[in-house]
Amino acid sequence: MSIDCEDQELLEGFLAETTELLEKLDDDLISLEKSPEDSELMNRIFRSIHTVKGASSFLGFDLLVKVTHKTEDVLNRLRKGELTLTSQIMDVILEAVDLVKTLVSDIKSGEIVERELEATIAKLIPFLSENAVEATVLAPLFAPQKEQGAGPEASAPAPQPGGTLQPAAAAPEPAAAVSQSGAAAPEPNPAPTQSAPPPQLKAVQAKEPAKPAASKGDELADNSTVRVDVKRLDDLMNQVGELVLERNRMIQLHSDYQTGLDPAGFGDDFGKLSKRLNFVTSELQMQVLKMRMLPVEKVFKKFPRIVRNLARDLGKEVDLQIIGEETELDRSVVDEIGDPLIHLIRNALDHGLETPDERLAAGKSRCGTVVLSAAHEGNQIVISIKDNGRGIDPERVSRKALEKGLITEEQLALMGSREILDLLFLPGFSTKEQATDLSGRGVGMDVVRTNIRKLNGIIEIKNEVGKGSEFILKLPLTLAIIQSLLVEVEREVYSIPLASVIETMRVNKDEFHMIGGQEVLKLRDSVLPLLRLQRTFNCQESTADRSTCYVVIVGVAEKRLGLVVTRLLGQQEVAIKSLGKFLANLPGIGGSTIMGDGRVALIVDPMGLVGGGESAIVRKSA
Amino acid sequence: MQTALKVKSEEYGGELIQLVSFNLEKEEYGINVLMVREIIRMLNITRVPNTPHYVEGVINLRGKVIPIISLRRKFDLMEAEYDKRTRIMVMEVVGELMGFIVDEVSEVIRISEKEIQPPPPVVSSGVEQECMAGVINQADRLLVLLDLEKMFSADERRIFSSVA
Repeated sequence: MSIDCEDQELLEGFLAETTELLEKLDDDLISLEKSPEDSELMNRIFRSIHTVKGASSFLGFDLLVKVTHKTEDVLNRLRKGELTLTSQIMDVILEAVDLVKTLVSDIKSGEIVERELEATIAKLIPFLSENAVEATVLAPLFAPQKEQGAGPEASAPAPQPGGTLQPAAAAPEPAAAVSQSGAAAPEPNPAPTQSAPPPQLKAVQAKEPAKPAASKGDELADNSTVRVDVKRLDDLMNQVGELVLERNRMIQLHSDYQTGLDPAGFGDDFGKLSKRLNFVTSELQMQVLKMRMLPVEKVFKKFPRIVRNLARDLGKEVDLQIIGEETELDRSVVDEIGDPLIHLIRNALDHGLETPDERLAAGKSRCGTVVLSAAHEGNQIVISIKDNGRGIDPERVSRKALEKGLITEEQLALMGSREILDLLFLPGFSTKEQATDLSGRGVGMDVVRTNIRKLNGIIEIKNEVGKGSEFILKLPLTLAIIQSLLVEVEREVYSIPLASVIETMRVNKDEFHMIGGQEVLKLRDSVLPLLRLQRTFNCQESTADRSTCYVVIVGVAEKRLGLVVTRLLGQQEVAIKSLGKFLANLPGIGGSTIMGDGRVALIVDPMGLVGGGESAIVRKSA
Repeated sequence: MQTALKVKSEEYGGELIQLVSFNLEKEEYGINVLMVREIIRMLNITRVPNTPHYVEGVINLRGKVIPIISLRRKFDLMEAEYDKRTRIMVMEVVGELMGFIVDEVSEVIRISEKEIQPPPPVVSSGVEQECMAGVINQADRLLVLLDLEKMFSADERRIFSSVA
């Protein structure tokens, strides 16, 4: 079935609007579960679904109308207070929303596939019958199942979740298997009604298509178009206008100069002009940069739902606090941080937080807290995931790494506590005895490291055994124009992204030590491996061998490295230019930039340097 | 390019093609004019570490950074000082702009395709046989027709990017 829509523009408008509404909907639904009394929120959700329904019926997407209509009905009953919100109802509504997302992405991809709607709709229907009221009466009895639910309820007397109160014990079981999280949450829906059991059995088979539906829903938020505030666009136009004026001024100045008019004043005028030009371009740059910015909320808003499901699966109580979701960062960065954050949050829930009982035993409150925060710090964005769980036990980490053969005893003996925590990032590392579908394969942290490296970011771990741990990601704001530190290596100029520079220092070459063939520098309480850029890059050594040089300490993800350079030239904002596909993948070179004098300077890629180490690179080039 | 030339000659018979001729170590070479984007004088070249020896570095071509290859080094000829006749021929090779340093660019010549002879089986100079598309033997001159696309065969490109 192809899409028969006359007006492409109308369709695009519909897709853009619906996508936006659906994204917001997920978030709202989770918040609603936390505060079911919020009628304003309830109404907003209702309105969103209603809008989607209205628009799709206008455009003739019948499948969409069917699902949204039933969902709307259920929401309507909730709104009127005929139903009380339970996590079971929420599961079904979320499933319906997922289905809607799938349908919308089908429309977007241009072909409507016949999808299994009945299973989801059938799950909605029971909540529409009068008996549903009875069903919700039973709900509080199963309170312990809904971890995310209201806290006080959870302390209600917890019966065996077997559901002996259920009139028909057979029905809830297949239903439980279907319920999104897969947790054994007996649905207190009106099993006795004749209509309910058969569709639920059918729903078991329908689980297969439901899975891709969820993943497809994520892709829905595509990034091929941008919505820009008209105000920003106007500002931009203003700036461009000014730029044009400055250009005219420049042309005028040049022709005056050529005709020999007032050569004395030329220098002065030119100075003024370049100042204004500088001002206008930096304004312009800011404006364009801002247009590329997205609030980090875009990534953050899917987490409440993930946390809710995870917490339930793990049998833990979690309070997810999100701070600073309005912080803006570049689109390219937003796209990349989603995965690492999911892994870190999973880890926090799975490894970090204890079960409620363990928490009580440790003298903490039942409910664990995970704080996800984002903030600007200078030219970086800092995202932190902090939990108040058991923290990371370095003992256990090093033991596991030894067991898995990732490091040797000697290596371990040389490690400080920082280095031991860094072991977490090794591929294949896991403290879990057995891999579960949640974690334990030792992939997650490797993903985190890889993605953060790709973004030239830094990872820091703060850890307090017994009190919790915090993962701090520091990322550059944008990837197209970066602040960089220009350095000279034997008369060649290189640029090092400032985002990865931690500090610079001037040292005497006598202070270098050799450990196991590796030059190191004692820096306060740690030992810093050194890399002589001049060797890595095979620069011709200049004759004047000075005894002092500069060390630029760079951080890549969790690693630190000192780059030895001849001189520091200063800080400059540079636009990154690719070296083309022939020169891609050069170790230690991330790209190039054009300097004020028109020459090309290469941008050092600290990630490539940290990865290979000096010896590896030298061997390669030899 | 060779295949392209062949197709042409089959379709149209001996069609005229235009070649840019340039000198390298006193020998004359030709390249299809359609490949050449522009010819510029020597600029400041920024050395790029850990690249094959014939990659001279990169230049800023009006805001675009393009790699520069020394044809002398590529063909294992003697190194020579750059002088005022040295040129960079900017060409589009497999979709990417690249600059090639040559001793001197002389002229654009028209030849008939029929004049192109297959390359001799033994090549005396360092020019790798596979990037020779043919030889043009005119009364007073001998021109080696180059096919630069071939020079960057898939194999070589890979090595190029992952450091020889």
